[in-house]
Amino acid sequence: MGVNETLANVSSDFMIAALLIYSLAVLAFAGDFAFGRPRRAAVAVKQQTRIAELASVGAGPAAGSAVSGGVPADGPRTTAPPPANVLPSRQASLSRAINDAGNWVRVAVALSVLGVTSHLIAVVTRGFAVHRAPWGNMYEFVTALTCVAGIFFVYVMLRYRAWSLGVFVMGAIVITLGLAETVIYTAAGPVVPALQSYWLSIHVTAMTLSTGIFFIAFVLGILYLTTDVYRARVAAGKAEPGNGLLERIPSAAQLDKLTYRTIIFGFPVWTFGVIAGAIWADEAWGHYWSWDPVETWAFITWVLYAAYLHARATGGWRGRRAHYIQIIGFASLAFNILVVQVFITGMHSYAGLG
Amino acid sequence: MTDVHAPASVNPGAPPQTPPEGGGSATPDSPRRPSGVPQQKNLPLWRWAWRQITSMRTALVLLFLLALGAIPGSIIPQTGNDPAQVQQYFISHPALAPWLSRFGLFDVYGSPWFAAIYLLLFISLVGCVVPRTFRLVGQSRTPPPKAPRFLGRLPHSATYVSPLPPQEAVAAAASVLGGHHFRLRTNVSTGTTPSSPPGKKADAGDKTFWLSAEKGYLREAGNLLFHLSLLGILICVAVGGLFGYKADKLLVEGQSYADTPSALDDFYPGRLATGSDLAPFDITLNNFTATYITSGQNAGQPAAYNANVTYTATSGGAAKTDDLQVNHPLNVDGVKVYLIGHGFAPVFSVTDAQGKVVYDQATPFIPADTSTMLSDGVVKAPNAAPEQLGFMGVFVPTAVEGSGGTLNSAFPAAENPAVSLIGYSGNLGMDSGLPQSVYQMDTTAMTKVAAQPHLMFPGQTWKLPNGLGSITFVGYKQWVSLTATYDPGQGPALAFAALALLGILVSFVVRRRRVFVRAVAADGNRGSILTVGGLARTDASGGFEEEFARLAAELAGTEPTNQSETGA
Ligand code: HEM
Repeated sequence: MGVNETLANVSSDFMIAALLIYSLAVLAFAGDFAFGRPRRAAVAVKQQTRIAELASVGAGPAAGSAVSGGVPADGPRTTAPPPANVLPSRQASLSRAINDAGNWVRVAVALSVLGVTSHLIAVVTRGFAVHRAPWGNMYEFVTALTCVAGIFFVYVMLRYRAWSLGVFVMGAIVITLGLAETVIYTAAGPVVPALQSYWLSIHVTAMTLSTGIFFIAFVLGILYLTTDVYRARVAAGKAEPGNGLLERIPSAAQLDKLTYRTIIFGFPVWTFGVIAGAIWADEAWGHYWSWDPVETWAFITWVLYAAYLHARATGGWRGRRAHYIQIIGFASLAFNILVVQVFITGMHSYAGLG
Repeated sequence: MTDVHAPASVNPGAPPQTPPEGGGSATPDSPRRPSGVPQQKNLPLWRWAWRQITSMRTALVLLFLLALGAIPGSIIPQTGNDPAQVQQYFISHPALAPWLSRFGLFDVYGSPWFAAIYLLLFISLVGCVVPRTFRLVGQSRTPPPKAPRFLGRLPHSATYVSPLPPQEAVAAAASVLGGHHFRLRTNVSTGTTPSSPPGKKADAGDKTFWLSAEKGYLREAGNLLFHLSLLGILICVAVGGLFGYKADKLLVEGQSYADTPSALDDFYPGRLATGSDLAPFDITLNNFTATYITSGQNAGQPAAYNANVTYTATSGGAAKTDDLQVNHPLNVDGVKVYLIGHGFAPVFSVTDAQGKVVYDQATPFIPADTSTMLSDGVVKAPNAAPEQLGFMGVFVPTAVEGSGGTLNSAFPAAENPAVSLIGYSGNLGMDSGLPQSVYQMDTTAMTKVAAQPHLMFPGQTWKLPNGLGSITFVGYKQWVSLTATYDPGQGPALAFAALALLGILVSFVVRRRRVFVRAVAADGNRGSILTVGGLARTDASGGFEEEFARLAAELAGTEPTNQSETGA
């Protein structure tokens, strides 16, 4: 089966468009940081005072929401917009929340959604152009995993109103996708016989999905560590509080929880991907596990994320240390994709480079 | 009717919320003992050691070691994957290699130290998981603890007013929560739910009635299933390693082989497997075709491999044919046969000085470059007289002249096949008693018959100088290498892997949570005020907040008339 060149071109165009739109979204998120937030922080402070008043008066106004099922289960978080560094709860309607967040966020969210849509179209049309799952080589893998990361992040952002993370996560996506386009671009084409299997779709899909999800956790982890270290320094009087930047980023506890939720979403998917890979290896090479370098590194990654999950349940290992572990876990994942698959010869004929 | 208050406004002095979610920072029954010095002075050493081994901290360290220990095997060549590269490593690093070998670094995954890591990890796992299993069984039989006194201090709480007297209000709440399959404990006798032991009835005297409800025991069960399944996988891997085998065979088109140790090129039995365990089938390679992309950017990239074979399962059975392809193994007698590699086998016929045909067969050449299928091999004619003859050759499927006049291949398919031979005469050294590879030739006791390599196309004959004889390049055939594997542990390993996945999903999705209700009589003796408190002991994927809100609303909305409905 040949390549449908028209569709392949459509795919390339949408990919470039996605990259441009993402870049604009990052600019808009950054604009919110630079110009948009002080107003919101002020609003939040005003509302905090209102909460205090309400609390002393009693909880009259909250009663109405109880009937509609939204029992304010945990205090001020449900009755009024929270201070800027608390991820607002979900009870307030999404459109209200976006409206409240100001023009910059409105534009940034719209651009993010547009970018992700364009990205998704690019990935899907590539699949139709080559008549197979569009993750048959390294370039395609990276474009697909960033697409997953984009979709997952847009979901997280909308669910937890986490606009303030946009500049970091979307920024990381732009850099990764930009590098993919410039450094490892591979034209649409068929794959070698070893990859002609429906296990390609199953195994690599799971790997792509979980990599995209772990990517988000990785960015959150970096954010956690930098802000946690910085907050500690500020608390110790060793650093300037800055111009309110830190107040706009979710608290360490919330970043921590968000990271954890992200990883426990990714971990079973990764586990499934490794199992599917083992089944495929059995079909293709005659043994389900042969410690091929790529397999070995997938195993190392899995063990590291398991260690992260354990660390969170081990005294003295929560917080920063646990984040170090998951960041090392993602580093091992990236090492597998960027170094092992490209430079170490094994049985995986995947990279499609060189 | 009912009024639901935000707890912070009811109880502004409540401590900051530290939700005991996620990694279960408040799971008192996780085995999280402080490690370090023995707690009791008289604790026997072995008890102390066992505690250390089964602690979470040790498990964490061992997980790290496992990840770390797996790394060298992906960087240093491994005997199991690529023995030739290991030999090469010994040659290029003569000082380092013996040391690496001493530490098992050429066979990391079979080395004692790697085994020590994972065996310790699994000992720790057993020591950790077995007691937890018993504890879970115990817990699932005992009712939840008594409701704490100040429910407003729990991470989630709400207050509502009920028109019912306290006792009935709590009973109504019990029937709601019971309807949601919570395990219940209460000091109110509800008829359907177990009440407290009689001694606790004293509480009724101070006019507060309470209810404890707990749900989500499956979360711990899922976690245990996950860990136990990992143990199952390890055992299956061990079984496969002991009783399974792997057998390699190179077959030229037209050849067949029976699955017996003597017919195989390589046979790797598991420690407890022998040649008599081989499945009794035989296979003939009819033909092999490789198709390649012929144009465009990806020209030369393989598009499909197909090996047409005829096989007989259990000797004497009917012959069947099959197309063996990559990703499409042949299942025969419980053994799987895989297409692993392919190459060209030029056919030569050699005549010696006396005009006798001393060699006439297809000779498998090994690809040196799989993208062009430039291959090399040797032809050895030990029966040639008076001198033995030998040839070192290069086969190219699509001959082109490379830079400097060397022979190169432009394409991996046989479009313009050619061989280039260097001829030798003398003693091949094959009767020295040492086994010799058919792909290598020992030229120490031989002399070149001509200074230059000799280029030949199919059908051409090279008359060797000095009347030593001649060699004809008759044509070529193709060969495939097949691997047959048998692994009795593989099916069960897959089953355990699926169970592990199921276990982990359950443990992530299910949350262990408790809901408490306390009721006191409202002023004026009409109705009662109820406080509901909620605590998620584990809430990996989140959502307890919403669930608690729903439950609280449902409890608050319970009216005497619809009790039975909500309780269903
Ligand atoms: C083969 C090695 C092991 C692997 C790959 C592994 C993996 C995992 C994973 C992925 C989780 C998170 C899933 C969940 O929360 O249900 C987990 C949780 C847990 N593991 Fe392990 N584990 C291993 C060995 C052990 C050992 C040796 C122990 C005991 C010392 C242990 C005790 C626990 C406990 C108590 C939890 C629950 C933590 C919590 O409360 O969230 N595991 N393990």
